[in-house]
Amino acid sequence: MPTYAELEAQAAPAKRRIEARDRPRLAVGIDTSSIAVGALKTLDALRALVASRGLDADVVQTGGNGLSFANPQVEVGRAGGSRILYQHVDAEDVPDFLESVLVRGEQTNRWLLGALGGSPASGVARMDDHAWWSVQERRLMSEMGLIDPESIDDALATGAYAGLERSLVMTQEDVIAEVTGSKLGGRSGGFFPTGRKWDFLRTSPTTPKTMVCNADEGDPGAWVNRMTMEDDPHALIEGMLIGAWAAGAATGYIYVREEYPLAFERVVKAVEQAYERGLLGKDILGHDFSFEMKVVRGAGSYVCGEESGLIASIEDARGMPKIRPPYPAASGVFGQGSNVNNVGSYHCAAWIMRHGVEKYADVGTERNPGTMLFSLSGHVQRAGCFEFAFGVTVGQAYEICGGGAPVGHTFKALQPGGPLLGVLPEFALDLAIEPEAFREKGAVGLGGGGFVFLDDTACVIDLCAQFEWFLEDESCGRCTTCHGGTQRMVEIIRRIQRGGGRESDIGKFRLIADTLKYSNCFHGQFAPSIIVNTMTWFAAELEEHIFSRHCRAGVCKGLTRYEAGRDKATRAEYAEAYARAAETCLTLAMRRAAGDAVEGQEPCLECVVCAELLPQAVHVVDAFEQGDPAPELISIQPAYE
Amino acid sequence: MTSFYGASARNEATLEVRQILEGLAPGEGDLLEALHRVQHRYGYIPQAAIPGVAQHLRLPESRVYGAVTYYSEFRQTPPPETKISWCSGPACYIKGSENLRLVLEGLLACGMGENTPDNRLGLHLGQCNGTCDNAPQVWVDGEVVGPLTPSKTVELVRRLQAGDQP
Ligand SMILES: Cc1cc2nc3c(=O)[nH]c(=O)nc-3n(C[C@H](O)[C@H](O)[C@H](O)COP(=O)(O)O)c2cc1C
Ligand code: FES
Repeated sequence: MPTYAELEAQAAPAKRRIEARDRPRLAVGIDTSSIAVGALKTLDALRALVASRGLDADVVQTGGNGLSFANPQVEVGRAGGSRILYQHVDAEDVPDFLESVLVRGEQTNRWLLGALGGSPASGVARMDDHAWWSVQERRLMSEMGLIDPESIDDALATGAYAGLERSLVMTQEDVIAEVTGSKLGGRSGGFFPTGRKWDFLRTSPTTPKTMVCNADEGDPGAWVNRMTMEDDPHALIEGMLIGAWAAGAATGYIYVREEYPLAFERVVKAVEQAYERGLLGKDILGHDFSFEMKVVRGAGSYVCGEESGLIASIEDARGMPKIRPPYPAASGVFGQGSNVNNVGSYHCAAWIMRHGVEKYADVGTERNPGTMLFSLSGHVQRAGCFEFAFGVTVGQAYEICGGGAPVGHTFKALQPGGPLLGVLPEFALDLAIEPEAFREKGAVGLGGGGFVFLDDTACVIDLCAQFEWFLEDESCGRCTTCHGGTQRMVEIIRRIQRGGGRESDIGKFRLIADTLKYSNCFHGQFAPSIIVNTMTWFAAELEEHIFSRHCRAGVCKGLTRYEAGRDKATRAEYAEAYARAAETCLTLAMRRAAGDAVEGQEPCLECVVCAELLPQAVHVVDAFEQGDPAPELISIQPAYE
Repeated sequence: MTSFYGASARNEATLEVRQILEGLAPGEGDLLEALHRVQHRYGYIPQAAIPGVAQHLRLPESRVYGAVTYYSEFRQTPPPETKISWCSGPACYIKGSENLRLVLEGLLACGMGENTPDNRLGLHLGQCNGTCDNAPQVWVDGEVVGPLTPSKTVELVRRLQAGDQP
């Protein structure tokens, strides 16, 4: 088996290419986020034009760097360490872009985002000049956007597996002591000490032992694990190998969710390449350590992210969570002692063993050293994945990186960490990014890295309906408290949203929330979080929905009606918009509003295309007047089945 | 389950399924992979394939059927020619994805998980994949189309109905 030094030597040509020693390097960040906005087309166009014009430059794919808002991005590297990032380079821009950076050799042009390294020409902004860049502490992400995630040589050229090499000459106990000393807490959002978990497995009497990576990332609105898998997959494999060595495991599974086909493809490729280089298999790096790895593809199930559900899913079964104990360290995959960690936990462990615990603790807080990835989405100006040291506040992340609410709107709520973790009001912005800070304020937790921001156009009650529906749909169905409780929640919220709220509903919510606590797993136990949070922090809004049948955001379909002005003057003034709305509306409603004499009654679909096309004349009004009777029959049918 | 398909159809299906499952073995946690392969081959999991999978992996048929119905990405009916996945995630939701759903279901006259009668277009309930900067969005055969508004969704569906690109 090759030694680490031999592998490093093999990667020397890759290193020259990354550093653009011999010719300029044009690198297009390719991952799910950038492909969505055409980055593959940019890459193809660059390749074709550089070839046809015979320009001397490497055109390569790299991983994405998290800055979704700037995609498609091209990084131009030149000898001497100059690296300059350009944003929004669409395929149509490629001829002009190449003319600028390669033919004329310019650094500044209309696509310029900032210089990452070297000494850029005067007038060229540095990435550090952007507050949304400099407020980050980019460590786990430092290779994202630099290396081709499909090339193990690129990874090796930038230090991958150095942490493994270092660990393999240490004792198991010393590796665990170092990871424990870093205070690394599980990045699924549970923040359970990773070093301690590894020690449970190490000292578990079972043999053989198994390492499992939870790459199910089921929380909608979070894509931090996807970043690691798509943009730096070898960091994940390295972390798992380190854990396996420390805990004495001989086999490993990476369980990737179905919704991440590219992450799956890249992780599979990385595993294959690691086998080819002797980084998986027998006598790894020439040490007395062997490890086999398998990548498993999920098939669309949220509770399969719960560790016992995940284990069941790997074992040929429906992924139903089990009652613990036994914990995985005592009995996991196929009854073997197992360790389950999130992708981010392994990624951090690899970083710690590459750079040492002292360096790791340089940033962050006393109780939470280090950094964590966060994806910001929802009502923000800049969506993307960013890396923060613990202790930065949510408000800084939101204002500086996210750019705050869209123009003309204000912050209303934060939804951290997926459907089980509820929703927080204004004070969320003051919270330090640390699990303790969230819990001290009564929030369920910080979560696994997804932050969805809501502004004043969002309705919290409507989000409750959506999340409870999600949790009902994804309940494994084993306990009646969970599948029945979530179903009942959905029915009541939907009734309220249709104008049938009752005084007793708050009491019912409390009863169901108390009952759900007795579910088998966290799925049911935390299912009421968002409702409980809403009763605490958005009580006025909830009561408005129940007692005044009014939705202040104008979102809940049953409480609002769209009314188009029908007077002649308005119609004449916006004749064109009326015509377009009437033509696009799927029913006859808008044609009637536009003045056509049409026969027949078709219920409005409530799709609101009219308000979009005719904002001047279509207004949201309350569907109920004070004193109107409650609607007789309220459909609480699940909307999606 | 034999009665429904008849013995010969069942045997034929079992034979073909055997080929698809080559290399997979009982007791090694290969059920998900087996079902993925069947779905890759047929576009869905035909009921006639279940006995073959069960035999190959030496699992009870009920266990295989249980897995097929447990996971939302396994289909039991043929997929449409063009699949429109509607994102049900929160970033899309708070930006009005519900309105898009009403347009999609209204224009195609089918619900989530269903196809138009001619099987050309169908709706699928999608989960957030972290391309939330394009919210609200749909995926047409896996390709992101967004951010959408109700009127853009109307136009998108009309284009797809006419056989054009998204
Ligand atoms: C319903 C439910 C869904 C979960 N989904 C995930 C998930 O998608 N990814 C994940 O890493 N952990 C998830 N977890 C947490 C896991 O059970 C487990 O705690 C985690 O993998 C431990 O990793 P860590 O110690 O590295 O944080 C989920 C838990 C529950 C109850
Ligand atoms: S919520 Fe739709 S892509 Fe994330």
